[in-house]
Amino acid sequence: MLAKEGLLGHLNVTRFSHRFQVITMPTFVRFRLLLLLLPLALIGLIITGMSGCRGGGDVIHLRYWNGFTGPDGRTMLQMVRRFNEENPDVRVTMQRMAWNTYYNKLFVAGLGGRAPEVFVLQTDAFVRFMQADFLRPLNDKIMGENGIDMSDFDPNVIDTVYHNGNYYAVPLDAYILGMYYNRDLFRQAGIVDEHGDPAPPTNREEFLHATRKITELGQTDIGNIWGFVFTFFRYNLAGIMSQFGGSLFSEDGTRTLINSPENVEALEFAVSLIQEHRVAPNPEAIDSWIGFRQGRVGLVFDGIYMLPDLQRQGDLDFGAAPIPQLGPEPGTWMGSHNICLRADLDEETAEAAWRFARFLSDNSLDWAEGGQVPVRRSLRDTERFNNMYAQREFARQLEIGQYLPSNPFVFEYFTELDLALERALRGRMTPQAALDLAAANIQEIMRRYGIIPSDEADGET
Amino acid sequence: MSNQTPLPEPQEQLPAVGPTARGVENYRGNARRRIIRRYSGYLFLAPYLVLFFSFLILPLIYGFWLSLVDYEMLSPEPPGFVGLDNYSEAMDDPYFWQAMKATGLYVGMAVPLGIGLALLMAVLIDSLPQKRQGFYRLMIFMPTMITITVAGLVWRWFYHSEFGLFNAMLERFDIWVPWLTDTTWAMRSIVLMSVWWTIGVPLVILMAGLKQIPVSYYEAAAIDGATGYRRFLYITFPLLRPILLFVVVLSIIGSFQVFGQTFIITEGGPELATRVIMHYIYDTAFNFYRMGYGAAMSWILFAVIIVFSLLQFRIFRER
Amino acid sequence: MGISKNTQRAIEVFVLIVAAIFVMPIILVFITSFKPEPEIIRFQGILPIQWTLENFREILGNPEEIPIFRWLLNSLFISSMVTLLVLTVSSMAAYALARLNLPGGRILFFLIIATLMVPPQILLVPVYLILNPLGWLDTPLALIIPAGAGAFGVFLLHQFFKGIPKDLEEAAAIDGCSKLGIYWHVILPLSKPALATLGIFTFIGSWNDFMGPLIFLDSVEKYTLPVGIALFQTSYYAEYGLTLAASVICTFPIIVVFLFFHKFIIRGIAMSGLKE
Repeated sequence: MLAKEGLLGHLNVTRFSHRFQVITMPTFVRFRLLLLLLPLALIGLIITGMSGCRGGGDVIHLRYWNGFTGPDGRTMLQMVRRFNEENPDVRVTMQRMAWNTYYNKLFVAGLGGRAPEVFVLQTDAFVRFMQADFLRPLNDKIMGENGIDMSDFDPNVIDTVYHNGNYYAVPLDAYILGMYYNRDLFRQAGIVDEHGDPAPPTNREEFLHATRKITELGQTDIGNIWGFVFTFFRYNLAGIMSQFGGSLFSEDGTRTLINSPENVEALEFAVSLIQEHRVAPNPEAIDSWIGFRQGRVGLVFDGIYMLPDLQRQGDLDFGAAPIPQLGPEPGTWMGSHNICLRADLDEETAEAAWRFARFLSDNSLDWAEGGQVPVRRSLRDTERFNNMYAQREFARQLEIGQYLPSNPFVFEYFTELDLALERALRGRMTPQAALDLAAANIQEIMRRYGIIPSDEADGET
Repeated sequence: MSNQTPLPEPQEQLPAVGPTARGVENYRGNARRRIIRRYSGYLFLAPYLVLFFSFLILPLIYGFWLSLVDYEMLSPEPPGFVGLDNYSEAMDDPYFWQAMKATGLYVGMAVPLGIGLALLMAVLIDSLPQKRQGFYRLMIFMPTMITITVAGLVWRWFYHSEFGLFNAMLERFDIWVPWLTDTTWAMRSIVLMSVWWTIGVPLVILMAGLKQIPVSYYEAAAIDGATGYRRFLYITFPLLRPILLFVVVLSIIGSFQVFGQTFIITEGGPELATRVIMHYIYDTAFNFYRMGYGAAMSWILFAVIIVFSLLQFRIFRER
Repeated sequence: MGISKNTQRAIEVFVLIVAAIFVMPIILVFITSFKPEPEIIRFQGILPIQWTLENFREILGNPEEIPIFRWLLNSLFISSMVTLLVLTVSSMAAYALARLNLPGGRILFFLIIATLMVPPQILLVPVYLILNPLGWLDTPLALIIPAGAGAFGVFLLHQFFKGIPKDLEEAAAIDGCSKLGIYWHVILPLSKPALATLGIFTFIGSWNDFMGPLIFLDSVEKYTLPVGIALFQTSYYAEYGLTLAASVICTFPIIVVFLFFHKFIIRGIAMSGLKE
């Protein structure tokens, strides 16, 4: 039916013949010449594409993928360049893309058998890829002659890559949730110590006091001032929840504890900052960070990876400190970038890849410079690290930092967790109701993954 | 007017084409030659068909097979055949329905708004002096040329309720809009941005269509005293109908597949209010690594689009 | 033409306002790319208080880490090739389907336009798996060749070709013109506006494609601009100044291309004497 009525079916014939007369060869010939060129160009391209397999000779070629876009990526690129200079027999090429698309790419590449030799996994995604036999166990390399002393690493960090008696990755860093505060606003609100320096809060009372005072500054020429703002809900709340003693899953991983009384209490406290204490604006899931950069927010909780953003800006007088203890016990959220090797590397390539992984770990102070915390204690005990102010402050929390549980359905439970936090913080549901709903949905996911048998009743009520 | 001149003899028009013996010979061909002649047109189709079958039909069949298996990429077991399980899972999946609802909402707002505005602007621009038409068309077309990564980032900044540009400008009038923070407003904001971003293509096509309506029709109408909207109603609209159909169908197809805008601006929020079906399929296939289920939902979406397109053809034909 | 001068003036003012609203965000991007980062973050007026080229300098002055000219060349090359390929194969196919009365042609045509409705994401992984054994991944071919399979061009040109009067073709045939000759000397020249329109759409579509290059290309030096620009954005925040400057660099060439094609359309229409 479509074919019958041409779009221009109603056109008057004459006008076409008119045009026909006018456009003769010369005006049109160039375009058609282009059309003729096309097959030639394509054939050329296919030929060069086919022969383009780089035959690198003796040099071992390593592809190294990560999600370090932005300033991180440039720091990493410099490290890669240095490695290439120092190791002429290996050539590493790095590819980076934003984390939210990175895992898709890695996954598709894995499907096609083109996974890179070396790649970075965040702790969140680690178990998912490990259980799919994506990763090469590294025990032989770690114990080998060019090995690393694993006791140098922080135990809670190294635990995350140690499964069934094997190390599956080398943790490069820990990105810890800490507190950034605006020193100007602190001074304006009079939250200072005896020397007149801004005094970042360390506990719940001080936190509420400081945020209230700053919120009371009210309107300024750049807009409303707020004491606190939620940036990324998941990590903000993971930090707060850890201080209330909550966890998301039972020890054996077969039940979700997301709606445990501890977690509900933590979330209720977070909600009260908006609804009761009114020291934080209604949350916007995205970009609240900009408010802090604008100088309109007294303090935020965010990862150490935000540091370069603030440093680049240049005109913001900010301070960094551990997050105040808002619950009954100390704690914060953290994650790590882990260097992994593809499972099926031949011995020679694996050796080169290991050398590279080791190089990155040994030089993780260079990496820290760009806004990261190294996880080797010997590196942190240096003068150089001590001079990195924000990194040092955040690193004080390393022992109390907690990872979000990593499991095969991590991205699915994240969706549920995010949704529950959003509903509660936006006042659409009570914390209890939101977390109960999330718990029920997560149980459903776990059932689908065969982690809990489908006939078993929901665990926690 | 040139429209009234009789058709000139075509032979005179073809100085560049030298006559060949072949054309004449074909006319006298026997049955076999006639068959060859009939099928020889496939030579023109061949290059496209090769591409079409290798990069559209073949992947499509593969995608259909995926929708029938339990294919979870990161599990070491080979995919198992599960029949229509993936499809029935979708029927019971509240997130699937939620995403369909969001998509329906988007299509319901973006298509009429986008096409309506495109049509209005096309007609208005077309009534202006020829010399400046190109300029206005270029201006309205410009947003279409911007990558979604950039456009999304910029609009995200515009829309931010506390720190954004729009609310900063509206503050003077004591207006505060929860652009992206409210579940109802979020979709409206996405639609608004999408109209801005996608109006260029329908506008250009519609303007090309308007150009092809013979001037003589309007002149005749002017003699009859028809002006303004009646001109539009009785001449422009009916004559534009085939192109309008083309544009509406394209717009509906495109709107059902909306993805980039929500993916970048709202990331599906707030509370999944803007997680459209393509977004959910993307999450399922690429974040949760459930290719099978993702493929099944794609096929359901495919079916829905086909139904809507056929409906369109029917409605436009019946008038 | 039945519209009074005053009405026309009112219409023009309205059109101008709407057009200005449409261009505003782009102008904002352009202007803002000359602001220093802190000024971008705190909006204090449209115009920069302090003009700076720092953003551009940082992007352009660091070709090893940010090979933006490579990306620009890649984008130009890939988009041009895609456009040429689509124009060639689609116009040939549309000619065959619209004018040659092929046996089975109608069914084929339906099959082709049905695929317009296929959600593109569904094809991503299968196409990847097809390209892999061909050795085309991480080459421009991976982005060029599959693009030729799109149904939009065939559909659009088919609708235009349908409208070309049969008489011309028959006359050419009587004159001894082969099918190829008719395609080359009659159909193509008559469809210049349609081809130019399709060319623009194809070029822009390919220029702005994000998922394709992201999945099919591995090496940074083979990236296209949109994927390259994404390197300035992280999941956590964006380097606004750099992103905006890169966007300007990315958008500028395409506006030039559009202006070029735009003339093409206008000339085609003007020559045809369609509208006085």
